[in-house]
Amino acid sequence: MPTLAFKRITSLWIIVVLVLFLSAISMGILMRFAQGSVSPMDPAKFYVLMTTHGVTMIGAWAAASILACNYLMARYVKVSTGLNLFALIGTGVGVALLWTSTFSGNFHAGWTFLYPLPFKAGGGWQAAAANQFLWGLMLLSIVWLIWCLGMVWQILQKYSLPQAFAWQHLSKKEPAVETPPLILITMVSLVGMIVCFITAIILLAMFFSESGWGLSGKPVLEAKLDPLLMKNLTFFFGHTVANEALYLGLAVVYELLPELGGRPKLHTSWYVSLGWNCAVLFILTAFFHHLYMDFVQPQGFQIVGQVASYLASVPSVVVTLISLAAVLYGRGFRWSLPSLMFLVGAAGWIIGGIGALIDATISNNIILHNTLWVPAHFHTYNLMGNVLFALGFFCWVADDFRGTVDPRKHGLKLVLMIIGGFGFVLMFYLGGAYSVPRRFAFYPAELTHAQLFATMGAWFALVYSLGLLLVVLNVLKKCFLVFLPQRS
Amino acid sequence: MSPHTFILTLFLILAAIGAAFFIHLYRVSCSTEGPGLKKVGAKRLFTLVLLLAVFLILLSVTLPKSPYYRFTDVVPEKTVHVTAMQYTYMMSYDAFKPDMSDYKPPEGGVITLPAGKPVEFRVTSADVNHGFAIYNDKFELVTQTQAMPHYVNRLRWQFDKPGTYTLLCLEFCSSGHPAMRGMFTVK
Repeated sequence: MPTLAFKRITSLWIIVVLVLFLSAISMGILMRFAQGSVSPMDPAKFYVLMTTHGVTMIGAWAAASILACNYLMARYVKVSTGLNLFALIGTGVGVALLWTSTFSGNFHAGWTFLYPLPFKAGGGWQAAAANQFLWGLMLLSIVWLIWCLGMVWQILQKYSLPQAFAWQHLSKKEPAVETPPLILITMVSLVGMIVCFITAIILLAMFFSESGWGLSGKPVLEAKLDPLLMKNLTFFFGHTVANEALYLGLAVVYELLPELGGRPKLHTSWYVSLGWNCAVLFILTAFFHHLYMDFVQPQGFQIVGQVASYLASVPSVVVTLISLAAVLYGRGFRWSLPSLMFLVGAAGWIIGGIGALIDATISNNIILHNTLWVPAHFHTYNLMGNVLFALGFFCWVADDFRGTVDPRKHGLKLVLMIIGGFGFVLMFYLGGAYSVPRRFAFYPAELTHAQLFATMGAWFALVYSLGLLLVVLNVLKKCFLVFLPQRS
Repeated sequence: MSPHTFILTLFLILAAIGAAFFIHLYRVSCSTEGPGLKKVGAKRLFTLVLLLAVFLILLSVTLPKSPYYRFTDVVPEKTVHVTAMQYTYMMSYDAFKPDMSDYKPPEGGVITLPAGKPVEFRVTSADVNHGFAIYNDKFELVTQTQAMPHYVNRLRWQFDKPGTYTLLCLEFCSSGHPAMRGMFTVK
């Protein structure tokens, strides 16, 4: 069971994640209002917000997923307060580097920072700001690599390597040691995370080989690295970290949903083991779909991108969706806010996945690539998927800190988030389908419908934020209470 | 129905089916009596076979329509060399160096392409990654490729409708990104 110190560090992490989320969502709303010409913004300022918003959102929810799994892992293995404290301090320094590079240094190459853009600012920012941003990411990658390795180590203290991957379930119906789904999914997702953080470190080291290793950096007059290789590495890292975060969120759902509804725990079977082991392999190769419009990429990789993108959805649907259906089907399930968030999150995950599969089809991608269809689908499975998985965990754990349970559904808060969230992403889908480019600080006069979609999207986001705020305030209050002296 | 409308309609239908599935799950989960989900193994197998069959059909139908395989067996009527740079497109019928030292602008200053004939764009970049997205006169995205330094992407297309086509950059290239555009005509 988690110790008080572990609860406190978890609580601190939740506070940090929620503050970052509220900040980043505010930036998003400002950007959509600017695109709608409701409150026009200087493009450089818009892109500062866009860069900060992207990197903060991806980081905050990846951290939330790792944190949630680590908290629940305490049910099965020994966990470390020190490791989470180390990750929190390292993350704080990393975020400070990133935010000062953007807000103070004006760095705005996007969170994808495609080579050689950080070095070709066109007067937009100095070499020092670019290096500071890259060092912020480097620090986060190193700290989170250690965080993930530490969690894998915790798992391996109790389970052997094959057991951690639940391979014993492939050959035996009832093996001597059962690997809980939480451990299996956490393990395979952490392996994916570890691979992508190592890739990020290599990628950033390649950047530093041109700009110098100092925090101030030096101007790069001639970009000599291979841009295609750098693009592949960038998307391998970015795509993988976002997807593994989502899978970690699903691990939480596997663990908590039956418990919250008064159902028996989910168990690992051969198909759960096989499905999750395959899912990781597919997700590590699906990133090629980000490079479909680079025709110089070897065609075999393009085909692999489409096939892997399709196959990645098979375990999700065949294993996870039907397992969830089996848990929920027809026997007086006890609903509460966290479990409802898990249900809506699963819906957001599946609907976002449908949008992603349409985009991952090469013949569609030619009219969807880098349009608003891209933020449409990833906001669906992040904002209405992974965020809800993590928020559901936050709501549950804020009560678990004190050993209490809140059985209420808090329907209004969730309804606001559903209407606001799905309305917000629908405006992205409409924009994407009708050729509106992503990452435009303002739209050409010919794209008048784009402004309407942007303004409507911003209003929907405000509705979402209202519901979110009501949830968050309640969670924050309970998180702060953990720091008060505890009665023995 | 345009491909844009088709994609949106397809998505909305599939998303509605997905949403209906979860609403159904919620409703049956609230019932006080119920048998639970029966024949789970058979349902898994059915879903697996169905998904794999659908994906196999989709792959066989869509992959041949990928841009890499279109107009590969024809000789382009015209070839246009394109160099993207922050924040414009330089285009010519003749190849030119990235430093523009031997650049020859097209006659009249505008690239003109034949309607109904395959053409080829050879697209590269002089600085950072850019997009090369072609919009028709209704401002619908027709086709695109990326412009990457050190590489040349060859995009082949056939424009059936005469008119003015606009180029937009779809890869973020710094603060002038939304203002980057170009154009050509098809007659």
